[in-house]
Amino acid sequence: MPSATVNKPRPSELLSRLTSAEPEVKVRALREVKNQIIGNRTKKLSFLKLGAVPAVAGILADSIDDVTDNNNCNNDSNNAINILVQSAAALGSFACGFDAGVQAVLDAGAFPNLLRLLANPNEKVVDAVARALRMIYQSKLAPKYDFLQQKNMEFLISLLNSEKENVSGLGASIITRSCETNLEQKALFDAGILRKLNSLLEGGSLSQRDASLESLATIFRNNPEVISKFAGPEIGRPLSSIIDLAKDRYPRTRLLACMCLIVIRNASPHFLQDIGIKTKLIHILLELLDDPGQVGDEAPFAFSSLIAQKEDLQKLALEANAIDKLHHHIKKGSLHPRRYEGILLALADMYSKLESCRSKFLSLQVLNLLADALTDYNAGVRAAACICLKSVTRSIKNLSAGYFMNETIVIPLVQLFLDPSTSVQVAALGATSNIVVDFTTRKSIFVQCGGMKQLVQLAKSMESSVRSNALWALKNFVFQADNRLKEGVFSELTASLLSSLIRDPEPSVQEQALALVRNLVDGCINLIEFVFAEDGLILGAIGRQLQCASTAEIGIQGMYALCNVASGNEFHKEAVMQLLFTQMGDKNQSFVIKFLQSNDSRLCTATVWTIVNLTCPSSPGAPGRLEKLRNAGIVSQIKNMVNDPCVDVKLRVRTVLGQSMAFGDN
Amino acid sequence: MSLFWIVIRRLAEIEERMATSKKVITREEWEKRLNDVKIRKEDMNKLVMNFLVTEGYVEAAEKFRMESGTEPDIDLATISDRMAVKKAVQCGNVEDAIEKVNDLNPEILDTNPQLFFHLQQQRLIELIRNGKIEEALEFAQEELAPRGEENQTFLEELERTVSLLAFEDVSNCPLAELLDISQRLKIASEVNAAILTSQSHEKDPKLPSLLKMLIWAQNQLDEKAAYPRINNLSNATLEDPTV
Repeated sequence: MPSATVNKPRPSELLSRLTSAEPEVKVRALREVKNQIIGNRTKKLSFLKLGAVPAVAGILADSIDDVTDNNNCNNDSNNAINILVQSAAALGSFACGFDAGVQAVLDAGAFPNLLRLLANPNEKVVDAVARALRMIYQSKLAPKYDFLQQKNMEFLISLLNSEKENVSGLGASIITRSCETNLEQKALFDAGILRKLNSLLEGGSLSQRDASLESLATIFRNNPEVISKFAGPEIGRPLSSIIDLAKDRYPRTRLLACMCLIVIRNASPHFLQDIGIKTKLIHILLELLDDPGQVGDEAPFAFSSLIAQKEDLQKLALEANAIDKLHHHIKKGSLHPRRYEGILLALADMYSKLESCRSKFLSLQVLNLLADALTDYNAGVRAAACICLKSVTRSIKNLSAGYFMNETIVIPLVQLFLDPSTSVQVAALGATSNIVVDFTTRKSIFVQCGGMKQLVQLAKSMESSVRSNALWALKNFVFQADNRLKEGVFSELTASLLSSLIRDPEPSVQEQALALVRNLVDGCINLIEFVFAEDGLILGAIGRQLQCASTAEIGIQGMYALCNVASGNEFHKEAVMQLLFTQMGDKNQSFVIKFLQSNDSRLCTATVWTIVNLTCPSSPGAPGRLEKLRNAGIVSQIKNMVNDPCVDVKLRVRTVLGQSMAFGDN
Repeated sequence: MSLFWIVIRRLAEIEERMATSKKVITREEWEKRLNDVKIRKEDMNKLVMNFLVTEGYVEAAEKFRMESGTEPDIDLATISDRMAVKKAVQCGNVEDAIEKVNDLNPEILDTNPQLFFHLQQQRLIELIRNGKIEEALEFAQEELAPRGEENQTFLEELERTVSLLAFEDVSNCPLAELLDISQRLKIASEVNAAILTSQSHEKDPKLPSLLKMLIWAQNQLDEKAAYPRINNLSNATLEDPTV
């Protein structure tokens, strides 16, 4: 007869039964708690709030010495065993996939007791305890395991040697969670752990194989030395067992094997580089995308780790129809957010370098899909959509066609400038930076959508990455823009804000601010007046920043800004001269000489260009300026560079020298 | 030019004739060839044992082991536990089944949200079947609604199930299939598979795969030859080739 009673005791009632003196009542109550929380996150939370975890942990602690002999079969010892088993199972369930639960279990001091109980004679107890510990080690909150202590390494080895799946699985989980540094990886190798894990790969059960694959990947990560020691002497054999598992019947095993192989590929240039294995990995991962469960959610991330930054793999993936397949999955809709995010990031990697890939985006007409993703409720998805957009807008062909500067994209993108998540903001700014380079005259759409004003607001953000990215977007926005647009940007920014950004504490922000000025004053002589606004605030800021430039990039952008100013009229050129010769403290040498002597040829080029503009023969004050430069030793410094290895430098130097000869100099 | 076309036409005719003439194999010939193929008794015994064990026929497996000496690839004791769970679901004792699964391996339901949801859904269906409407509503609200919040697909399934309550005559409504016994069997099968997977055992027996292979191979052969076919898998009789 079907039972479907819902008349359960209330949680608080259950918890009071836990304190009963009668072992049988206790066991029943523990079992009831366990059964209510398993699979039920809401219940875990409500029991947590009532203090269930310390209560159960307390019972575990009290009973820890009650089961010392496996031979007793009487009622008392049965109850003792059951108390341990049920309380361990309950604690394990609290910790399963639930960080608040893990924290509660750790705070209640249950961890050392669980470790002790691994030595208990009763099999069921050990099983339950090992499982609970495994759940804890699946969480980031698990205590760090110190592999470098001899005692700990021996304990780990004993765990891996156990015949019980849950115990050896625990050993593997500890490695996967806690092994981080190259030193730890080497220590594990030296203790023979890899050999043990390899034997689990070849002879173990399904869960042991999976756990081994994860641990091996952790030990191999970024450690070519350990990899070559592992794969070296028995050439090909250990690696071939992993390669075989990539074709295993179980999807999760295939995924973990691929991830392990990818870790090896990425760390070491000697292994798994032939085209056969590359193609195989691509095909297996693309096929895993079809898995409806968690494996399919994680597959795109593994795919990204395979192809990121690697043109050869992106080409192979393109030939394997990767882009079509990824798009097909997005079009299906109602994706799990993790899967959605993964696929978008995988597409971003595919579009990142090759124009042949980007042209697929346009032919498949997925602009609307991306626009939808920009408004998704999940922050990870929104950020991933922006990153994907940034990659695909690297296509100059399509930027110039004005393909992206339309309201479908710009409006949701501008809304993301106000997103509560900083990473989404930064990603949106990255995409915007490309879109606003739009070579047509449709930049006004961006202003109409309020984008320009938003960018200026973001330039005042507390987060330095947001400030520098906002400035980057503005810099690209004013690139070769018409005067009206530039004036709009400048009046929104104001001279005082721009000069304070030039003097920002963060070097990346300084660099972008200077580059923005460079683009603003470029082109029309009237725009040069910007730097003189409010008593030359901006010009002064540039000068002061160049005196103490902390990176070459700051020097380069600043010099080009000055170079553009120096392309103006007499007044402008004289102002630049004054700046170049301002003394700071006891520094006799102008920063100009320092830049000319720099190893960075871009910096030299920028500086020489400025000199070219200052000594341009058509302007009346040129001879006077040339004299000053000569007196400061700058001309002779330039003469020394006449045979500079960098072509740009050489050409500009010769221009300067040619110009100086026009004034009768030798 | 015309000689070229004559040759092409000739080759096309030859090919056509080759395509329509299939090799014919008589029953005598076929049975003779079959006899030449050797199959080991041990392999067949293993297949039978694998089927019995995976499907959960404990007593039959025990008897078969005693009579044939074939060792099962899984501990028969664990089969009884698994069968108890399956039986509980088939009888509609879902709560009991859940408790048994949790005793067997608490991880299964903790890491398998879909299975857990289906079991809880089945509990709701049983409450509705027994006319315990108030309890059903309370259960749906307390236990199932939070699951629906976590997952869009679950929410949709939940809404379907709860809408059963709207019908006066549940046995004749469009959602009647939910109340059918087959629904219980479906869930029972799902639980069975999950337990087998957690024990690192294959959740499907080998026998169906073999039969599928047979059907596929016959379909492939059909294009090349006319031969005695097995058309009825349950009695496996050879039917004469049509000439």
